[in-house]
Amino acid sequence: MSSFAILTDVTRCTGCESCVLACKTTHETGLRDAPRKWQGAATDLSSTRWTTIARTEDRHVRVHCRHCLEPGCAAACPVGALHTTDEGVVAYDPSICLGCRYCMMACPFRLTRYEWESTNPRVRKCILCYEKLTDGELEQPACTGACPEGATIFGEREALLTEARRRIADHPDLYLDHVWGEHEVGGTSVLYISDVDLVQAGWPASLSADAVPGLSDAVLHTVPTTFVSVGVAMAGIHWIIKRRQKLAAEAASAATTAAADTGTDTPADEEPS
Amino acid sequence: MSETTATNNRLIATKAVLWFLVGVAATVIVARFARGLGATTALTDTTPWGMWIGFDVLSGVALAAGGFVVAATVHVFGRVRYHGIVRPAILTAFLGYVGVILGLLVDLGRPWNIIQVIFHQNLHSPLFEVAMCVMLYTTVLALEFAPTALERFAPLRPAARFLRRLVLPLVIAGICLSILHQSSLGTLFLLTEGRMHPLWYSPVQTPLFLVSAMALGLAMVTLEGVITSWLYRRRAEWSQFAGLTRAAAVVLGLYLVLRLGDLGARGLLGLAVDGSWYATLFWVELAMSAVIPILMFTLPSSRGQPWATGWGALLVVAGFVLHRADVGGISHIAVTGEAYVPALTELAASLGIVAGLALAFLFFVEKLRIWEEPPAAPDHFTRPAYDAVGRQFIGAPWLGGGQRAVLATILGAVLGVVLVEGQLAARAGTRAAPVDAPRNVLIARSENADGPGHRFELVARGGDTPCEETDGHRRALLIDSGDAGRFVLYEHKCHKQRLGGREACALCHHRNLPLDQATSCTYCHRDMYEVTDTFSHEVHERELGGRASCVACHPDPGAAKGRDTARPCDECHRFAAPEETLVRATMDLGPGLAPGYMDAMHGLCLRCHLEQDEAASAEPYLGRCATCHRIDFSDKDALIRQTRAVIDARVARAAGRPPVEGMNP
Repeated sequence: MSSFAILTDVTRCTGCESCVLACKTTHETGLRDAPRKWQGAATDLSSTRWTTIARTEDRHVRVHCRHCLEPGCAAACPVGALHTTDEGVVAYDPSICLGCRYCMMACPFRLTRYEWESTNPRVRKCILCYEKLTDGELEQPACTGACPEGATIFGEREALLTEARRRIADHPDLYLDHVWGEHEVGGTSVLYISDVDLVQAGWPASLSADAVPGLSDAVLHTVPTTFVSVGVAMAGIHWIIKRRQKLAAEAASAATTAAADTGTDTPADEEPS
Repeated sequence: MSETTATNNRLIATKAVLWFLVGVAATVIVARFARGLGATTALTDTTPWGMWIGFDVLSGVALAAGGFVVAATVHVFGRVRYHGIVRPAILTAFLGYVGVILGLLVDLGRPWNIIQVIFHQNLHSPLFEVAMCVMLYTTVLALEFAPTALERFAPLRPAARFLRRLVLPLVIAGICLSILHQSSLGTLFLLTEGRMHPLWYSPVQTPLFLVSAMALGLAMVTLEGVITSWLYRRRAEWSQFAGLTRAAAVVLGLYLVLRLGDLGARGLLGLAVDGSWYATLFWVELAMSAVIPILMFTLPSSRGQPWATGWGALLVVAGFVLHRADVGGISHIAVTGEAYVPALTELAASLGIVAGLALAFLFFVEKLRIWEEPPAAPDHFTRPAYDAVGRQFIGAPWLGGGQRAVLATILGAVLGVVLVEGQLAARAGTRAAPVDAPRNVLIARSENADGPGHRFELVARGGDTPCEETDGHRRALLIDSGDAGRFVLYEHKCHKQRLGGREACALCHHRNLPLDQATSCTYCHRDMYEVTDTFSHEVHERELGGRASCVACHPDPGAAKGRDTARPCDECHRFAAPEETLVRATMDLGPGLAPGYMDAMHGLCLRCHLEQDEAASAEPYLGRCATCHRIDFSDKDALIRQTRAVIDARVARAAGRPPVEGMNP
C-alpha cells in the first residue's frame, strides 16, 4: 500500500469509543484516564488517550492526529524526531527527541500531547499504528479495525477520497458537500465526511489552504545567501572604512606637517558621531 | 566611613539578593529534573511553551544582541569612540547566551538529547537553525571574550595575543550568525499562525525580530552599563550611551514603520483600535518598546540627558521583553482560550538564572579588565574586634560578603522548597468529579428498525414519573455514564426479575449502609475516577463513646493506629456485606475504600454483559459499549436540556465542594 489514510463518516459514528479502547490496548497507554487538575475533561485527548470522541449535541466526531501531508510539527522538529514516512504517516522517534515541544506549537489542529508527568517525557499522538502495520502485526490500524459501525475506515488516500465523494454523491441530501482534510493545510491523510459542519466539533474555524511550513521554508531558503552576503558586506565595509581612515590620517599628518609653520591644528582622528 | 566601604555595602546587599535568588532557583531546578515539567510548571498541552521559552530564550537572545551590534560598530565601522564599552557588551552577550542555554536546558523535556541537533539535522526547521547559530555564536563569543580572561595569566598571554589577531573574522562571523538567528527566532512564529492573535502574527516576523533585537541590544548595553556603574559608584560612559540611544532611536523608528506598515498593508490596523484587551496590550507594548523611547532619545529637551538615556533604555528593554512574551505566549490566549500564568517556580528559576549571570558579570568586572578603569578593590573583611576597655565590639559588620552570600543562598533554597511543594500540591492528583445519583424515568421500548438493539422513547422523567407502569411503558433508571453529563439507560426491573426477584438484591447491592438492603452505588462510589474513603472516623468515635472507645477498633495499644492495624469492618458490620454477590472486588484497596465510579461500574456491569454476549442470549449486542452508551431517544432535545441542567448544577457544586475523602452525608 502506497499511502495510509483514514476516512471517518460522522453520520455513522455512535460514539461508542471502541476505537479509543482499541488504541489504548494496542499502545498500552493504560485503560484509566482521570481529569488531571490542570486539564480539561478526562475524555480530552491526552498523552494516554491518542484518539477520542468529540461530542456535539447529537454527533460524535473522532479526534486524533490528522497526519498532514505537509505537517507543521515535522517541519518544526529540529532533529526530525517527528517525520513523515513514505506512506504519509507522521511518525515519532523518541530516542532523538529533545523535548522542545515546538511541534505542539506548530500543529494547526493543536492535537499533539506531552507526557508532562514524566521525567523522560515523550510527545504523544496517533501514529496510525505505523510500526505494527509495516511489521505486519496489524492489517489496519487498531481503531478502524475495532469500529463496530464501519464509521472509520482505513485505506489509500486516493481510494478513500473516491469513496467519500461517492457517498456524498449517493446521498447529497444527507452529507455536506465537503471532505474535511482534502485541502485544509495542504491536505491531510485523515479525512472526514459529515452532515454537520465540523467546526461545531472543535475543528479550527479558519484553516488556511496552504501547508503550514510554506512561509518558514521560503525564509529558511535565504539563510545561506544571507550568511555569505552579510559576511562579504561586513568585510567590504570594514575595508572601505579602514582605508578612508588611513587616508584621512595620512592627509591629516601631511597637513600637520604643512601647518606646523603656520601653527594651525587639525584633529588627527576625526570621529564622525 | 570611607567611600570604598560605602560602595561595598551597596554591592554586598545587591549580591546577597542575587545569591538569594540563585538559591531559590537551584532548589526549583533540582525539583524540575526530579519531578518533571508537569509537576513544577504551569505548562499544559494547550500551552506547551511558557515563561522559560518566552522570557529566558526569546528575550535572553534578544537582550544579548548588544554584543554583535557594539562589536560591529567598533571593529567593522571603525567607531573607536565606543571601544570602552565593547568588553562589557561582549561579556553581557556571552553571559546572556550562557543564560539562554541554561534556561533552555531547564525547559527541554529531554535536555540530554540536545546533542542530537548536531547528528540529525532538519534543515526545514527554524529551530534547528536557531540551535546551530546559538551554539556557534556562543563559541564565537567565548573566543571574543577569552583574551580578556587569558591576559590575566602571564603564561597564557601569547594565546590572548593570538586570539586578538582573529578579532575581525570573529566579529564578522558573529554578525552573520547573529543576524541569522535573531531573525530566525521570528521565523519560529511563522509556523504557529494558527494559534496567534493577528496583531502579533506577521509574515514579516523574521525582519521584525532582527530589527527589534538590534534596538534591544543597544538599550541593554546602555542599561547594564548604567546599573553597574551605579553599583560601583563610577562614572558611566554617558556620552557613548547617548550615542547608542541615538542609534537605537533610528532602529526603533525602522521597527515602528515595519510593524505598523505590515499591519496596515494587511488591513489589520482596525484590530488595534477595536477596544479589546489585546488592542490595549498592543498599544502599551508599542508605547513602551518604541514610541516613548524614540521621543526620549530624540526630543531636544531630553536627548543625551542621563535620566532619559537610563530610563529610556529601561523602557525599551521592558517593552521588548513584553513583545517577546506576547509573540511567544500571551497573544496565543486569544486563540487557545486557556490563560497561562507562570507558576512561581517558573518565575523563580528564570529570576535565579538572571541573578546567577549578574553575579558572574560582577565577578568578571572585579577580577578582569572589563572596564578601562577597574573598580576599586573591596576592603579586606575583618571581624569586629572586642575592645576590653570600652566593653564593645569595634569594626565592620559581623558578616562578610562571603558569609552573607552563603546565608542568602540557604535562605533562598528554603524558599525554593516552599515554592516547589506549593506547586507540587497545586498540580498533583486529579480533579474531583462527583457522580450523579440514578434517576427514575419512564420509557417506551421498540425494536430498532435500522440498527442493532432497541429504540427508547423517554415518556416521563424526574418528579412527574408515575409509580405504576402503564400502557406498555417501562420504568428505567438514568445512570450517570461519566461522559459530560450523559446517561446510560438501566431497566432495574428486568435485572431484578432475571436474577431472581427480591432475593437477588444482594447480588448487586454488595455493600449496604446499616439497616439498608439496597444502598445506591453512588453512595460509596461517589467520585467518577478517584478512590473514595467511605469510612468516617468522626462518626465512629462519636457513636462508640468518644476517646475511651479507641480500643474497640484499635485493640493492640502497642501498634500504630491506622487502617491496616484496625479490626476489619465486617467484624461489627456483619450484615453490611452479603456473602454471595455477583460483584467481585477486582481492586483490593483496603477497608473502607471504594474504587472510583467508572472502575466500579465497568467491574459491576461489563462482566455480566460480556458473558451474556458470548452466550448469545436473547438480548443481542449486550457486549457492545454503544448498546447502553447511546442517546437515540426520540425526545432527545429534552434529554439534552436536562443533562445540561445537571452539568450546570455539577459545575456550581464543584465551585464550593467539600473534598471527596471522608463521609459527609
